[in-house]
Order: sequence, then C-alpha cells, then structure tokens
Amino acid sequence: MNRLNASAITWRVLVFVLSLYFLVPLIWLIMSSTKSTGQLFTTFGLWFAFPMHLGANIRGMASFQSGVVGRWMLNTVIYSGGVALLSTLFSSMAGYAFSRFEFPLKTVFNLMVLAAVLLPITALVLPIFLILHDIGLINTYWAVILPLLVNPLGVYLMLIFWDQGFPRELQDAAYLDGAGEWRVFWQVGLPLVRNGLLTVALFSFVSTWNNFFLPLVVLSKGDLYPITLGLAIWNSTTQTGAHVDYPAILVGALISVLPLIIAFFTLQRYWQAGLTAGSVK
Amino acid sequence: MRRRWTVPYLFLAPFMILFLLFYFASIVYAVYLSLFIQRGIRPKVFSGLANYVRVLHDSQFLGSLATIARFGAIQIPIMLVLALLLALYLDGLRNQRLRTYLSLGFFLPYAMPTVIAGLLWGYLYSKGLSPFNQLLAPFGASIDFLGRRGLLWSLGNIITWTWTGYNMVILYSALRGVPGELYEAARIDGASNLQVVRFIKLPMVAPALALATLFSIIGTLQIFAEPFVLASLTFVPTNLMPNLYIYYTAFNYGNFNYAAALAVVLALITFVLSLGMLALLNFQRRRL
Repeated sequence: MNRLNASAITWRVLVFVLSLYFLVPLIWLIMSSTKSTGQLFTTFGLWFAFPMHLGANIRGMASFQSGVVGRWMLNTVIYSGGVALLSTLFSSMAGYAFSRFEFPLKTVFNLMVLAAVLLPITALVLPIFLILHDIGLINTYWAVILPLLVNPLGVYLMLIFWDQGFPRELQDAAYLDGAGEWRVFWQVGLPLVRNGLLTVALFSFVSTWNNFFLPLVVLSKGDLYPITLGLAIWNSTTQTGAHVDYPAILVGALISVLPLIIAFFTLQRYWQAGLTAGSVK
Repeated sequence: MRRRWTVPYLFLAPFMILFLLFYFASIVYAVYLSLFIQRGIRPKVFSGLANYVRVLHDSQFLGSLATIARFGAIQIPIMLVLALLLALYLDGLRNQRLRTYLSLGFFLPYAMPTVIAGLLWGYLYSKGLSPFNQLLAPFGASIDFLGRRGLLWSLGNIITWTWTGYNMVILYSALRGVPGELYEAARIDGASNLQVVRFIKLPMVAPALALATLFSIIGTLQIFAEPFVLASLTFVPTNLMPNLYIYYTAFNYGNFNYAAALAVVLALITFVLSLGMLALLNFQRRRL
C-alpha cells in the first residue's frame, strides 16, 4: 500500500511540474504584456508588476508604423479564413471522389495524396517561390493562399468522414429522386459530414495562422504580412536598432494567439476528432 | 443509372491541379534551374550536375544534415517518451474533468504559432528577461541558454514544448481505442498494473507510436522558424539546420540555382526517409 502511494505521489508531482512547464511561456506572456520596458527587466517575470501598463502597451502597439499591426491581423484573418474555406471544399470534393467512385487512375491519385503527406509544404518552399515568381504572383495574397490549399491530410480525413457519415443507400435514394452528381454531393451529402468539414477547416485555419516560412519567402511588402511574420520582422529590426519596444511586441504576440486559444477551448471536440481519425488511418 | 466517366475527375480537379502545380511542376522547375550555374551578373550557364557535385562536397550543408540527425536522435525520443508517459497517465486517470483539463493544458502549445513560441522562448532565454535566471540570480548563478553549447538544447526544448502534447493526444486516442474486455480479462488473470501496461497498452499504441515517430522525423528535417527567430537574439550559424542554409543561400547570397539543388536534395532525403519508414512499418505490421 505504501509503495503504491509513493508512486502515485511521484506521478502527481511529475504531472504538476509538466503542466507548469507547458503553461509558463503563456503565463510569462500575459504578465509581461502588462509591464513597461523597465518593469520587464527589474520585476519577476512570472508575476504582475504595478502600476500596470497594459493600456500604454496597447497604444504603443497600435501606433507602430501608423497602425500596421491591425493590418497584419486583418491579413492573417484573410489568409486563414480563405485557406480554411477553400481547402476544406477542395479536400471534401477529393475525399468524396475517393470514397464514392471507382476510376482507372484511382491508385495513381491515391499515391499522389500519400506523397503529399510525406513531403510537407515546408520542404518545397523554395521551389514554390521559384514557380510563383515566374507566374508573377510574388507579393500577392494568392502567393500565400494557393500553395496552402493543397491539404492532403484533409483529403484523408474527409475520405474517412464520407465513408462513415454518408450512407450509400441515401446516396442511391437521392439519385432515384433525380438529383444530379453535384446536388447529391452539395445538398444531400455535405450537411451529413458537417462535423468532418468543421474539423478539417479548424486544422487548416490554425496551420495557416501559424505558418511562417512561406509568407516570409513570398512576401516582401509589409502591408501584406500576416501577424506572425510582421512580429518576427519587427522584433529582428528593433533588436539590431537602438530602441527595442518589447512591451508593444509582446502585446502583439498576445493578441495574435488569443483567437487561437479561444478556438482551442471552444472547439476542443473537433481537435480530438481530427487527431483520432488521423491516427487511425 | 449510368454515371459519366468524367465525374470523379471533376471532383478531384481542384485539389489535383493545385497539387500538380505546387508539388510536381515546382519540383520539376527547381530541378531544371539546378542544372545551371550562376556567376555574378553574367548569364547563367548550363552545367549539368555540377551543382549536385558541389552539394555532395558542401561541408556546410553536410554539417547541417549531421546536426539535424544528432538533434533528432536526442529530441524525438525524449519528446515521445514524455508524450507516452502523459498519455498513459491520462488513460489511467478516473477523474473525467481533471483528465479533460490536463489534456487541454498539455495540448495548448500546439495551437501557438511556431514563431511566437520561438519568440517567447527566446525572451525567456535572453540575459535580461529570463525569469529562470532571475530565480538563479540570488545564488550567483545563471544559465547561458543561447550560447554555443546551449543553443541546440534550447532549440530542442522549444520543439519538445510545442509537439509533446500533440503526440500525447494521438497516443491517448490510440489507448482509448483499446477494448475494455481486454483489461477485464487481464484483471481476472491477475495481471498487475505494470503488466497491463507492458503486455496490453504498449502493444496497442505501437502503431500510433510508429506513426508519430515518422511524422516527427519529417517535421525535424523541416525545422526553420524557431532557429530563424532565435537568430535575431543570438548568434545562430547559417547552416544550423538544412532549411536555414537553403534560405540563406537563396535570399542572402542570391544563389537561387544552387539553392534549388539543395532544396531538391533535401526534398529527396525527406521523401526517401519517410517512404522507407512507411515500408518498414507495413512490413512489421504484416509480420505481426
């Protein structure tokens, strides 16, 4: 009995320490975004300091280069929203083709999707830059959006959701009622895999929000930057200059992760659904 | 009802067109560009495989591959063991609500942008700001997180912090999939907790663990944002990681033809490695 208790206590301590470890950067970010530059260096990082400077820091961030941070946030929403919407549609269409049809080149196409899973887009950022450069899409919204629409894991997830969520009898009944292929897909099928669509959209939204390498390479105009790229560049230019406006950058970082944290807690069952289905495959 | 043969292709078209453009065409184009040599502002000269010969002798690039191999050999096992321990702990936890809170807390870093994670840890490591060094200061001690010897460990910590929870959720889902009758049967046979873990849980999560290993290896080869951001706070060698070296070759030195050759080689290594892992997994699954 004693031995059991000892091991239970060890586990509990270990798990408590690890929870702290996973939360420390976030706690530090929240505390630090309320401090002035002086307080950042002179007060303990994992606790508040008074008087608070959150308001001043937000103003500092908002006034940087006449409000470019707001523009970066808007861009991030455009990139993430655009990619989530279109890549979910395209993935669900491709997944539908794999789930419902037999066709001569099916194996070949299947292998292509697998290849895309094994070779993530970050491995191809330079080749993608080169081809976008020659098409003339560098420094446009499309340069970020188009490559990220290739979402092979989304195709696999949708294949699973179609297999499970849209009974073949219902599909056949819709054909008998005289519905065409597109109507069967769009009006009868899609509503039934709603949860799957939300799962794929969530993952693609978050991964686009978090993307850095691709926008860094294909964008050089500051007013097209997403927030992640903008903050990183802001940080590196102030590090080399005389004036480092840590508090304003930190408030920007906090604002850039807040929507993700909200999405994280409100949509938790979709995270679970995506990762469970993904690991089964 | 006869269905027209074009229908499945039309459903596939949007995905496949973009796939062909960004995977197939971009690689073909990069291979084409890699066959030329660029010298200053003079026109490019066709040079066959000269760039690839140079890649094979490029000690900077080979060095980055060696670094990433050593890095992965240490970081991936630490991360996956941690993820497995946490998944086992959560699976054995009876308190439903605590289980939800803990799994969310562990998984949260995954939702953070890699750049923001890199930036935050960079500040947490830096001399003036680090709360860890603030805690050590009364003892007259401090840790040089971003020095030459600490840099890779600090980088490994950022990656571990970001991805442990993600892998934990995958392993935890696999554990949840174990049928309850299996545990009951084991209990009736008088198996201890440790035996249940060793003979039921571990074999059941093995496929998920193998898959997590595969994706960790692919991910490790692509690491870019974290060292790139740290480079604004400390000295980071331009060839620390392969993607970093490719980026600097292209965008700091403007040598796009050579960078294209490097990118093709890295993509090839990634692809062959993951294909090999996948074949190994399938082989083992068939043997079981």
